Amino acid sequence: MNMDKDKLKSPMDRRNFLRTCGSLLAGGVALATGGILATKMKGEEGDVFWQIDPFACTQCGRCETDCVLPVSAVKCFHANKVCGYCDLCGGYYRPSVKDLNTAAENQMCPTGAIQRKFVEEPYFEYTIDENLCNGCGKCVKGCTSFGNGSLFLQVQQDLCQQCNECQIARVCPSDAIKRVSYKDAYKLKDHA
Amino acid sequence: MRRRVFLSIFGILSCLMVMAEARFPKPDFTSGYEYPNISHGVPMEQFWNVLDIVLLVGMMSLVVWAAYKKRSRAVIYSTSLVSVGYFGFFRSGCVCSVGSLQNVTLALTDSDYHLPWYVLLIFLLPIVFALLFGRVFCSGVCPLGALQELVNVRNFRLSRAVSSALTTIPWIYLAFTILYAATRSQFLVCRLDPFIGIFRLGGDLGMIVFGVILLIMSVFIGRPFCQFLCPYGAVLSVFSSLSWKKMEITQKSCINCALCDKSCPVDAIHQPQSSKTKESRSTGVRRIVLMSILLPLFTIACGILLRQNSDALSRAHKDVYLYELVMAQQNNPDMDECLEVETFNAMGGNIDELKAKVEKVREDYAFYATLAGCLMGFVIGFKLLKWSLKRSRKTYEIDSARCTMCGKCFNYCPQNLTKK
Amino acid sequence: MKKLYRNIALVTAIFMLALGAMLAVSYYQMRQVSPLESGVMQTLKEMNDSNADNESLQKQIRELDLISRKAYFVQEGQLKTGTYLLLGMACVLIVCLNLYFKESKNLPEKELDPIDEWMSKTKARKYLTIASIAALALTILFILLQHFNVKGSSGADDGTDSLAVANEDMLPADESDADAVVVASSDSIANDSVQAGAEDAANDSLPIPKITSKAFRGNNSSATSSARGIATSWNLKSKKNILWQSSIPKHGYNSPIISGRNVFITGADNSARELYCYDVYTGELKWTLKANNIPGSPSTMPKVNADTGLAASTAATNGEQVCAIFATGDIICADMEGNRLWAKNIGLPDNHYGYASSLLMYGNNVIIQYQNNGSSKIIALNAKTGNQSWSKSTSDKIAWSSPIIATLGGKSALVVMGNPAIAAYNPSNGSELWRVECMSGEVGSSPTSAGGIVYGASEYAKCIAINGATGETLWEASDYLPECSSLAATKNLVFCATSYGMVCAYDAQTGEVKKEHDLSTPFYSSPVVADGKVFLFSNSGKAYIFSSSTFDLITSFDTGEKTFATPAFTDGMMIVRTDKSIYCVKKN
Repeated sequence: MNMDKDKLKSPMDRRNFLRTCGSLLAGGVALATGGILATKMKGEEGDVFWQIDPFACTQCGRCETDCVLPVSAVKCFHANKVCGYCDLCGGYYRPSVKDLNTAAENQMCPTGAIQRKFVEEPYFEYTIDENLCNGCGKCVKGCTSFGNGSLFLQVQQDLCQQCNECQIARVCPSDAIKRVSYKDAYKLKDHA
Repeated sequence: MRRRVFLSIFGILSCLMVMAEARFPKPDFTSGYEYPNISHGVPMEQFWNVLDIVLLVGMMSLVVWAAYKKRSRAVIYSTSLVSVGYFGFFRSGCVCSVGSLQNVTLALTDSDYHLPWYVLLIFLLPIVFALLFGRVFCSGVCPLGALQELVNVRNFRLSRAVSSALTTIPWIYLAFTILYAATRSQFLVCRLDPFIGIFRLGGDLGMIVFGVILLIMSVFIGRPFCQFLCPYGAVLSVFSSLSWKKMEITQKSCINCALCDKSCPVDAIHQPQSSKTKESRSTGVRRIVLMSILLPLFTIACGILLRQNSDALSRAHKDVYLYELVMAQQNNPDMDECLEVETFNAMGGNIDELKAKVEKVREDYAFYATLAGCLMGFVIGFKLLKWSLKRSRKTYEIDSARCTMCGKCFNYCPQNLTKK
Repeated sequence: MKKLYRNIALVTAIFMLALGAMLAVSYYQMRQVSPLESGVMQTLKEMNDSNADNESLQKQIRELDLISRKAYFVQEGQLKTGTYLLLGMACVLIVCLNLYFKESKNLPEKELDPIDEWMSKTKARKYLTIASIAALALTILFILLQHFNVKGSSGADDGTDSLAVANEDMLPADESDADAVVVASSDSIANDSVQAGAEDAANDSLPIPKITSKAFRGNNSSATSSARGIATSWNLKSKKNILWQSSIPKHGYNSPIISGRNVFITGADNSARELYCYDVYTGELKWTLKANNIPGSPSTMPKVNADTGLAASTAATNGEQVCAIFATGDIICADMEGNRLWAKNIGLPDNHYGYASSLLMYGNNVIIQYQNNGSSKIIALNAKTGNQSWSKSTSDKIAWSSPIIATLGGKSALVVMGNPAIAAYNPSNGSELWRVECMSGEVGSSPTSAGGIVYGASEYAKCIAINGATGETLWEASDYLPECSSLAATKNLVFCATSYGMVCAYDAQTGEVKKEHDLSTPFYSSPVVADGKVFLFSNSGKAYIFSSSTFDLITSFDTGEKTFATPAFTDGMMIVRTDKSIYCVKKN
């Protein structure tokens, strides 16, 4: 310490010396942080894309209301390979429906995003028009409780803003929304 | 007996098989129907992340060139335009450097979290530039700063004392940000980002209103968010004050014309002054000693204080919140079940497991709240100490910790107008 | 020129304010009152549900649907354009403002006001200190408040607890008082109505009975009722003390339940499974609800024993919803008006006699003892929605017993008797409180509880008394054991009726047989304690009425109709289901 004082006579010099020390220290901190984080990455792909685990989802309806987008990036997906192609579809029709036709009073979907098409006796194909879907999950609830559960909610990746923190994940009661890496950017039901 | 055991095992097995199978069998189509091939929108490719990084480095270099070589505000202003357009409206804000603070905190504290490489770069590059040239990132690259820069028209500045005192807020914000990110509770910065709703043209109405108010303020006050809120700015200011190169109003010698005096929107220009205070030297020294003693005291006191409050703070964590709801429900079964409790029960949630989890979270909170409290206390103590030191100055100088390199002072300085 | 910029800026600012306000309102509307889920639409759809094939109504719905859809998407488009417009105007405003202020630089005043930096530092120091102290004070205040709150709330908890206890203590007294009044008034009204010839107008003015019997063997399946003034003799032929008798459309072994003026029973055959609602004063079949169109319901009926049938399980209600379950695993839920709220199949029970456990409602949940071959669990469904509230897997084998809610150690507990265990659970979440393995064979009898003790008994096993607070066994006996009939208990005696004609009363504290009667007729129906008596029906239809304090036989007589179900009691009335009809006993 005495040595230093002898060397650095003027207050300006002392200040400059301290500043250099500080700079070196700050540089060291930045380097160390970067280094630690870089070694931690180990070439693993980062978790970036928000995805719903369709098997954990309880269709609470918050996906519709809590997304930062005006119309939620969560849409209803349909796993055709799981679908039973039922005539009385729990996802398409409101409960206690009387006539099995496409009339407005019979449909469950508030935006009319599910299309029903006759395939062959007694099977009907259901398709989702994602442009209309608002992710409310009413049909998913119907299908999961009465049918095969082939309808499910999922984050549509080209709409999702990839927020740093997903607003829906924050309020999801079943913690079904998690970050995944690029290679499994879609968690689908017919993959399982 | 053996037979019965066998039967019961068979029963369990068949039951499991039924569970795995769907309620309705897969249809046997006879009309040659084939399953439709549905493709889903592809996620954003890595290309954009690479472009982000390239643009980040490119724009920061451009600002460095504009501020140190060209000495032109126009270039910085146009960089701001590009930043607001690209990082703001086009890439809709996420991930930004301010938010990446939380990802990095999480990566340091939680080994389960994989930090994407470009988030690390987005976090580190502005710091590296700050260490070399000052707050280059803030000037025209950060979309949040750039947006405020673009709307800033005229400055009606706050009193220097008030604005100095207010610079403590970002540090307190930073402490809470780290606390909430490290405990995996929430990303405070992202939730309270005032401008993201404007970039996305939608989102939480409250935050958009807050953002609009900030923007209206920033028409008349230079960068209120950067000065008085931004936690990343606080981090950068430390590195910037220790930077290798310093920003200067002019590269020629200052003639003390005082023209630049009011040009700075963020109060970063210090006047020349000799410390001609009326108080005796001993009073000053005594104050410095007092503040030096207060600094560790403050640090410890704030740490203890926040630790005391850690249970209350931990309510921001989802599990703790859920646990309290479940307990409230149990104490009062007539209460209407809220969605969280209903889901918890329906999923066969185990209250003991939840309790164990909550206790773990509370422990985490106790630790990180102490840390955050210490940080807060240290910053307050340090600021008090800093403001007790006297400095004399002969010319107009830039406070590199606060300077956001907007380049406004360049045009005020008559020295800059004369040719070399 | 400057003036022009200023004016443009002013006009744009005013426009922006107006547009911004409009957009905010529009946005709020879209989030809050989504036109696609308007109240009108919901009501119309509900009207359509209850009112089939009304073409004009359907047309109205379709038109409204189309209009609201259009409105929704137009509004969405407007919002988007509006936002872009707002942004554009903001750009114009900023450019104009910049141009307006272009020449006016932020120059210092002529005589440079020398800001004393030291002054500002001192001030900043002062401000920060004041702010820190204020924040500190606030935090300490917060901590103190919290401590105070915790103390306060724990105090409040204690208060409510003691209040609840007090309530419970007072409850019997209260009820009996109310009963006395209601009995008196209903007596007089009944007399009037007899004189007036039982007119409908008089019926509507009849009071809603206060005492309920919301599940198999009464509220909480407790085998006791606070009803008073029950007739002790009646005759179906001469109509003596019979208020009404009605036929039942479909057969079933389940027992009636009563809530308000509604009496619920179920019936089923291979063609349909139905829930019936009768009026307690007139016996009129008010409504029938079919359990049909349930996804997952089996198309062919499961094979069941004729002694069990497809509708052996008694329905349950909480006064707002009524739920019924059938041997197919179909469960339906209706409101008091017979509107179906939800229905689901919880899985076809693999049961060689037929599923027979009755439902039980606890608060908002309907509890199902689903113990069959291969799947053994207790399920609680939300009665409003049908969503599962909780489910608890049990390691027990198949059983035909029904759950009860007992007050154990001052708290409500769900007690389930199965093979091999009698177990108590927390009815709010299904967590197990205790479990005593003591049963064997085929358990068809249900447990009962009195004075904090749980009693259970089954043929080929034993009769057991368990301390409900701890789960410790108090006594065991095997003198007389029931097969289908369940136990009933007071604080002193436990009543048991066997399928081989013996009935007895055990001492509730020791298990010693206090009194026994050889009645030589099988009992499937369960005894119920009401009005200081024990009511019991033999399979052949003979009614036996005992004193509940001594178990002396007061009277017995033949009713003339085979009876397997357990009667339900309400104000001065008893509802009995026989194998072909349902009737109401009331003093006249």
